[in-house]
Formats: sequence, C-alpha cells, structure tokens
Amino acid sequence: MRLELGNIFIKDVKFSGATKVDGGVLYINKEEMLKEIGGDEHIKNIDIELAHPGDEIRITPVKDVIEPRVKVEGPGGIFPGILSKVDTVGSGRTHALKNVAVVTAGKIVGFQEGIIDMTGIGAEYTPFSKNHNVVVVCQPVDGLKQYDHEAAVRMIGFKAAAYLGKFAKDITPDEVKTYETEPILDSVKKYPDLPKVGYVYMLQTQGLLHDTYVYGVDAKKIVPTLLYPTEIMDGAIISGNCVSACDKNPTYVHLNNGIIEELYEKHGKEINFVGVIITNENVFLADKERSSNWTAKLCKFLGLDGVVISQEGFGNPDTDLIMNCKKIESEGIKTVIVTDEYAGRDGVSQSLADADEKADAVVTNGNANETIILPPMKKIIGMTDYVDVVAGGFDGSLRPDGSIEVEIQAITGATNETGYVTLSTKGF
Amino acid sequence: MATIITNNPLVFERMNSRCKIDFRETDLKGILIEARNRIHAGHKLLSHPLSGSVKPNETNYKSLMISDEKAELDLDSLGIIESAIETTLKFLNMKEYKWDIKVLDDFQEIDFTLISSAVESMI
Repeated sequence: MRLELGNIFIKDVKFSGATKVDGGVLYINKEEMLKEIGGDEHIKNIDIELAHPGDEIRITPVKDVIEPRVKVEGPGGIFPGILSKVDTVGSGRTHALKNVAVVTAGKIVGFQEGIIDMTGIGAEYTPFSKNHNVVVVCQPVDGLKQYDHEAAVRMIGFKAAAYLGKFAKDITPDEVKTYETEPILDSVKKYPDLPKVGYVYMLQTQGLLHDTYVYGVDAKKIVPTLLYPTEIMDGAIISGNCVSACDKNPTYVHLNNGIIEELYEKHGKEINFVGVIITNENVFLADKERSSNWTAKLCKFLGLDGVVISQEGFGNPDTDLIMNCKKIESEGIKTVIVTDEYAGRDGVSQSLADADEKADAVVTNGNANETIILPPMKKIIGMTDYVDVVAGGFDGSLRPDGSIEVEIQAITGATNETGYVTLSTKGF
Repeated sequence: MATIITNNPLVFERMNSRCKIDFRETDLKGILIEARNRIHAGHKLLSHPLSGSVKPNETNYKSLMISDEKAELDLDSLGIIESAIETTLKFLNMKEYKWDIKVLDDFQEIDFTLISSAVESMI
C-alpha cells in the first residue's frame, strides 16, 4: 500500500468572506463553516475563534485536536466509518494542511480536559501551541448527558476538520512525502538482511470518555488486528477520549504518529517496517489477557524480530503494556516500550503501576507530575469556570497575580506516549 | 459469578437489580484494601483497580469486580492490587482535590461506565 502525503504549509489563518487557501494563508468564512458543522440537536450554540502561536490566549478545556486533511486520489475518504464510507483507506494521495488544527473546546466532565497556552512556559509543554488553532467552542443544551455531549462534540470536530480539509484538495502541496508498505512476503524478499520490525499501537478503550474508534468500530470490542500504517494517516483511528490530557492521543496524534514516521524513516535502510498491530486497553482483566495473547501471537506469526509498543493513558494501561511486553519477549522478539511517568513531583517515585524485568528497554516522554506555574493570559477561549475549578482545586495553586500552579498532566499532549511531545532528554 | 465492590452510589442504584453489589461507605483506598483482603482469602480480581485515567487523588469513586469462587491465592491478582494500592498512596500523598457536586456527579458517571464495560465483557 502506497500513500502520497501532500503537505501544504500554512503561515496564517484569518476570517474572511470566502473559505480558501491562498498564498499559504487559510481564509475562513465563519458563517459558512458554522452552517456546515452545526445542526446537532444536543448543541445549543457553536462559536469559532482563532488562536495563533504567540497570542496571549489560553484554550481550555480542550477535548480533541484534529489536523485538516482531504483525500485527493485513491479509495475512500478521510475518517472512514465516521464521516466517509468504510472503504479501506491509506493508498493514493492525501493532502494535509500543516501548522493548522481544529481544536474542540467545552467542558464535558469536570477537570479532565486539558489546557493549551499559546505563549509562555505552558506553550513550551504542548506541541499544539505551534499551530494556528481554529477553536470550535460548543455549548450543550441544558441537562445533556455526558455520553451524548462527548459524541456531539467529537463529530463536530471531525466535520470542522473535513470542511477545512476540502479546500486543500486542489492546492499544489509544498512537499510530497511517499510512504509505502509492501505485503510482508514481498518486503522480506526485498530486504532479506534487515530486521523485521512491527509497531504495537495500544488504544485507550475503557468506557465513557476513554474510547477510541477504528473505522467507526469501538476499539474495546476488537481483538488485535493488523493495519497498514498509511490507513492511520487517512483517519482510520480517531479519538473519543477526553480523559488524561497529557497522555491521551488526540486525533491529530493518530494522523501524525511519531513512531510510525520514525519507523518509515528507517524503513529499507536499518529495518524492514512491516506494519502496525492495533490493540486495546480494556477494564476486564480477561480482555487484557486475551488481547496481549493475540498481539504476541500476531508478532510471532509475522516473524518479527523487534517491536515498538506504545501505550495511551494512565494506570490500567500500564498492565496491558507490561503484558504485551512480557508475552512478545517470551516469543523471542525484542521489545521497546514507550510510555510516560507519574513519578511524583520530585520524580523519584515508582513511575508505572506495573513492571517486569523483561521491560528493559524503555523510552519515557516525561513525568506528568512535574509542576509548573502558568502565567495569567489576556484571553481565555472555552470556559473560564473550568480554570477556576483547577485553580481552586488545591490550596495555594491560584496565586495573587492570577497565575496558576498545575502538574503538566493538565496540559494537552505534554507527555504523549507516541513521542509527539516537546519534552526531550539531553546528555551532558 | 462475581461481586462488584463499590463506594459509588450510582453503581448501586443502577446495577443492584442485575448484579451482586457490595456497597461500602468508604473512600477509594478503602475499596482497594477490601479487594486485597478478599484476594488474600482466595478470590480473584476480575477488573483492573486503576480503571480509567482519572487519577486516584482526583476521584474518590471506585468500583471493581471480584470472583465469588475461592481457590488458592492468585498471585497475579495480588500483584495488580498491591501495585494499584502503591500507586494510589503515591497520588494521595501529593494533593487531594475538592470538587463541587457537578464534578462529583461526573466522576460517579465515569466510574459507572468503566465498571459497566467490565460487566459487558463478562457476559
């Protein structure tokens, strides 16, 4: 399967009389966009606001972040099973508007959604402060249940991204990247001396606000299966996850998964990147046993030599991560696990809720308990009462000058476990 | 057969007619310790005690499922509950949050849906 990804680099986003991409600027007709994404009976009011890098703006509470993309050639459309039919995507050509994101905002449940600061130290902790953000703020009708609320805002976000993405269809991209994964028998013939490497992609799937969908299917109902990496670039996996802002995978991260990018970078040179095995993170322990048995079985069946495993979320997924690691290692396959840490404010506590001696190659994306001071911002997009709750939540966090003290787990994407983060480690 | 040990009134209210519920007026840590006591008595843990990504110092609600059958001590269950208690204590030593009623309702709802997904898997 071969996908050409045409990247169109956007340097500014402005409201205008007509929606178009012209000279690297995305112009948006706000009224037209509101009409396109509106109409959900559960939502009383939608507004769209813009937040640019460097603006003194805090966006909160953030639900999802989505990159606008459009299918230009090849089967299917973006977000199959959600907005498009269930054709298998991942081949042909797709265009992406880079440096732009749709951000959905609005409180769904108390305290759980995240913060994106567009300037100051908070901005340094989230990759999403570097984008021109088209923020869609949704106000629910009175008395709306959390499940319906989440579903409505989720769909509005995808409609917004698809609306903007379609204006990229006829634009000549600034850059075209080609990603190709051949059937495994062909790639093994082509690269007989390279180690066969797979990616086990763990998806948060526990229930309300902890869900992920694959071609429209609730991923807690799946058994582990194989995907071409390029299917994921066309929106085969989307987020319905509102919890754990720092280490959930927003849809933007699924579309731009850093591990997939890196493995493709080394494909045909250092490794033979065979494909992606998706698996879930369920609450029921027998589900965990079954899914980890199946990931190990698939890794063995594919004849892999090495596997990268990433997890999503906190606590319960640590057990899935270690089960996957142990069972894949037991098949004689080397693993590297990718995670983040909750190691206490001083960073010295046990980082994960599970461990095993076979998990001896680990990449961390930071300590989510690390505490920082966010300076006051001139403007808040979203709901300010949420910030008051965060600030008032514990003694001394709201400072007299209006700054707030938070653990970086409150910042969207701060410790993302696919490596799509701004934190890094340097040796001295 | 299984029992849900919970301190979440919503779980009791919505599930009592179709599941075996042991409702306890205790905190999240108390639920985990009760589960550990039963594991020591030979019961098996059926759902993960750190279900959900809401941190143990944020929500005080916890529901978990444990087997009614008793056998030899299940070391996997014991390992998971001990790690969960250790993690919970780590968070409780950091900061405990104080919430208004609306947020507490949200956390009850989240805990209810997490344990519901375990019940659906078991059926």
